[in-house]
Amino acid sequence: MLQVLAIGLISAGIYALFAVGVVLVYRGTKVLTFAGGEVGTAALYVTAFLVTTHGMPWFVGALVAVVLAAGLGAVFELGLVRWSRDADPVVTSILTVALSATIFATEINLYGNNPTTLKTPVAVGSGIDVDGVIVSPIQIAAIVVAGLLGFGLQAFLRRTDFGLAILAAADDSTATRLVGVRVSRIRVVLWASSFALAAIAALLVEPTIGVITPGYASTLYLGGLAAAVIGGLDSLPGAVVGATVLGLAQSFADRYLKDLGLSGLDYVVTLALLLVVLLVRSYAPELRKRLTSPVEVTA
Amino acid sequence: MTAVTLPLNRTTRVHLPMMPLGLVVALFLPALAAQTPLLNEPHALILTEACVLAIAGLSLNVLLGYAGQISLGQYAFVGVGAFTTGLVTGVPDLRLPWLVGLIASAGAGGVIALLVGLPALRLRGLYLAVVTISVAYAASESLFRVDRIGGGSAGKVVPPPYFGSHALSTSVDALTIGLVLLVLLLQVDVNLVRSRLGRAFRVVKADESVAASFGVDVARYKLTAFVLSGAIAGIAGCLDGTAFGTVTGQSFDYGHALALLVIVVLGGLGSRTGIVIAAFLTSIYPPLLVAIFGDGVRGWDQTVNGMVLILTVAFQPRGFAGAFRDAAEHRRMRAGGAPPLPPTRPNLPDLGRPVGMPAPRRTQPGTPVLEAHGVNVRFGGLQAVDGAGLRVDRGTIVALMGPNGAGKTTMFNAISGALAPDAGSVHFLGEDVSALPPHQRAARGMGRTFQLIGLAKDQSVYENLLIAQHLAAPYGVLSALTTVGSRRWERELRTRADQTLEGLGFGRFRDTPVSRLSHGQQRIVEIGCCLVTSPELVMLDEPSAGMSPAASEDLASTLIDIRDKLDRTVLLIEHNVPLVLGTADELYVMDAGRVIANGEPLDVVQRPEVVRAYLGEVSA
Repeated sequence: MLQVLAIGLISAGIYALFAVGVVLVYRGTKVLTFAGGEVGTAALYVTAFLVTTHGMPWFVGALVAVVLAAGLGAVFELGLVRWSRDADPVVTSILTVALSATIFATEINLYGNNPTTLKTPVAVGSGIDVDGVIVSPIQIAAIVVAGLLGFGLQAFLRRTDFGLAILAAADDSTATRLVGVRVSRIRVVLWASSFALAAIAALLVEPTIGVITPGYASTLYLGGLAAAVIGGLDSLPGAVVGATVLGLAQSFADRYLKDLGLSGLDYVVTLALLLVVLLVRSYAPELRKRLTSPVEVTA
Repeated sequence: MTAVTLPLNRTTRVHLPMMPLGLVVALFLPALAAQTPLLNEPHALILTEACVLAIAGLSLNVLLGYAGQISLGQYAFVGVGAFTTGLVTGVPDLRLPWLVGLIASAGAGGVIALLVGLPALRLRGLYLAVVTISVAYAASESLFRVDRIGGGSAGKVVPPPYFGSHALSTSVDALTIGLVLLVLLLQVDVNLVRSRLGRAFRVVKADESVAASFGVDVARYKLTAFVLSGAIAGIAGCLDGTAFGTVTGQSFDYGHALALLVIVVLGGLGSRTGIVIAAFLTSIYPPLLVAIFGDGVRGWDQTVNGMVLILTVAFQPRGFAGAFRDAAEHRRMRAGGAPPLPPTRPNLPDLGRPVGMPAPRRTQPGTPVLEAHGVNVRFGGLQAVDGAGLRVDRGTIVALMGPNGAGKTTMFNAISGALAPDAGSVHFLGEDVSALPPHQRAARGMGRTFQLIGLAKDQSVYENLLIAQHLAAPYGVLSALTTVGSRRWERELRTRADQTLEGLGFGRFRDTPVSRLSHGQQRIVEIGCCLVTSPELVMLDEPSAGMSPAASEDLASTLIDIRDKLDRTVLLIEHNVPLVLGTADELYVMDAGRVIANGEPLDVVQRPEVVRAYLGEVSA
């Protein structure tokens, strides 16, 4: 039981890290970014290139990778999103799918299917033993960072002028511009920080597996995306809660499906949870209405 | 009636003979080319893959291009089709023929797509994108890896089809099958676009409320789009399995999903020709580059595809087809000036009820067509309509006035079924329609227009007149896809559309997209669309808004024509007092959700409570 809980929370930490980046961009631009997974994977390759191939310290390599990811986010906004002929959020979201696919294909071309290794400051397999599951310090760090980001960023958005400007720009960019906020700068910052967060998330996940393959972080990123949607898409604490629910659901489902001889159905669980949450949420107002005030049918 | 007066057959003439010709080419060209050095087995396999991609592209186009439903997981349905073929034909003792596998793959694709489509009834845009991408992952990362489904790392074997006792197992055979399927499905696509099904998809994509007002059951057509698209994708999967002889989970990874998105976006959403061309180009160029530049460039095509997709989405989201259309439009704009104004004052033809629609129970003049009682609509904390009711007698023009925010349009929506009131009843032609969805109210003879023009604006005037007759041609999905049994209905629709076009004096705007017309012209087209099925009750939401005074006068005579010449009943929301006084037999005034006055128009507008509602309290 404790074991299942521990596994669930470890996944939840990872999902929450990705989900925070998803929600951040969504809150500021109404765009759903699908690229975080591959941005994270690319950051891992960059780190591995600097650390494994060129012998730099892990922290230096990781820092460079995060900065590069932020740079890519800024360039993506400045060079593409801004000039899109169709400024519809759905179109921009598709643009992130295309970006993700491009990065993925490039990773395959450069690294093929040769697994790349990255030596991390924390040894794999060491940590606290929770009922047979080894929880490493870096996994605890992921959970803590995710929680802090979720609630801390929410406070930042609500309490600071810059945060409020971000929220205002998402609701009505024209009006926000008219009161003197430079919306374009906000967008650059949002994309840069979202991509940087994806890189950080991937860097915190990687040591648990230790081997990088193309598309590595994308499967985990899908969990983040789902967690963000489950949490309501525009709430950062919601994203953290969504990630926790998803992580635990997967871990419990896996435990019981194993008894039935089924394994590896994590994505089916994600899909099912996503559907249930979305459908319940979309029917809820109607149900509530029907329960409280039935439509009178006069003869 | 001679065929000459049916101008729409123009396009039919181009397309119909194409199919037999295409079939002949598909059947014999690969075999002939295989005799020459031009086509060897590896080439044939590449071209078969292009057919798979083209068919998968057509399937995504049905969903995204026609019905406007996002699916990022479309390639999963191709996988479903491929594995189904393997599962069905691979049952050891049965030795079912390949054709059964083909049919089963289409069926399985359709059924799974139906399951994905059910939530789509409630979700739109980005939520649907996340759900469909999760479907793709659930399929490729989880389900296809279950041994019983995917056959483990060895994959599922797909036995070749047999022609008599001859196994069609070469790649040239597979190419022949692929081309035949492609030609047939292209014809299906042509039929679809030109049928009521295609039109229903387009109006659902443009605006769901408008679709419902024309009698389109939005939920049903969305699901139909999913099923149809899933079935076509399933066929692509069967072809894929047939071409390779085995199916493995790896065949349905990210790269393939990307290729599909690339061809549909690059080819241009909604353009079958563009998609097929893009499918063949993106399949042929990578091996061609490898042949020229050597193995070093292998795989980089995927990176290039990704970049092409980025640039296309950002700068030419409508793909090749869009670029060509833009260029043609540009030439046309430079060649001719603005089209001259049409004659005003439409002369509406009395078309009568279409034969395809049940005749409404007509009531006696002077008896109510519509009665609404105690309608309550609350939006959060706002009581938009508060116990309002009204009665419209047959053969009258009833106007509904009131200051902005009085709840007039909300009342209209409650009557037409566009929203469900919290309380109250609506009786139409003596029947309680309170529980009916809007499309069923439309089918009973309620026609309406919208404050912000309820038309598919990217479609031509003529197309809108056909869309509006959705209910008048009640043929099924199979007829729509094959044209069997649909032609006589289509002929009638086109006759009615032509007559309406002529009556409105809009002949020269026949093929003009509605968005190019002025607001007043759009309004006339909208009224024409509302009247083309000759509904019993014509509900007009602020028809004179944005019209010039002269146009308003013409509108007044049109309203009177609808009542006197067409013998129909009119309920209209209006702010234009002269128009109301000049036409209405009865006037209702709403304020803050309540009906505050009703009766003879000239009398009502002078009542103190009405004056107060408009001008506020006059302090002495």
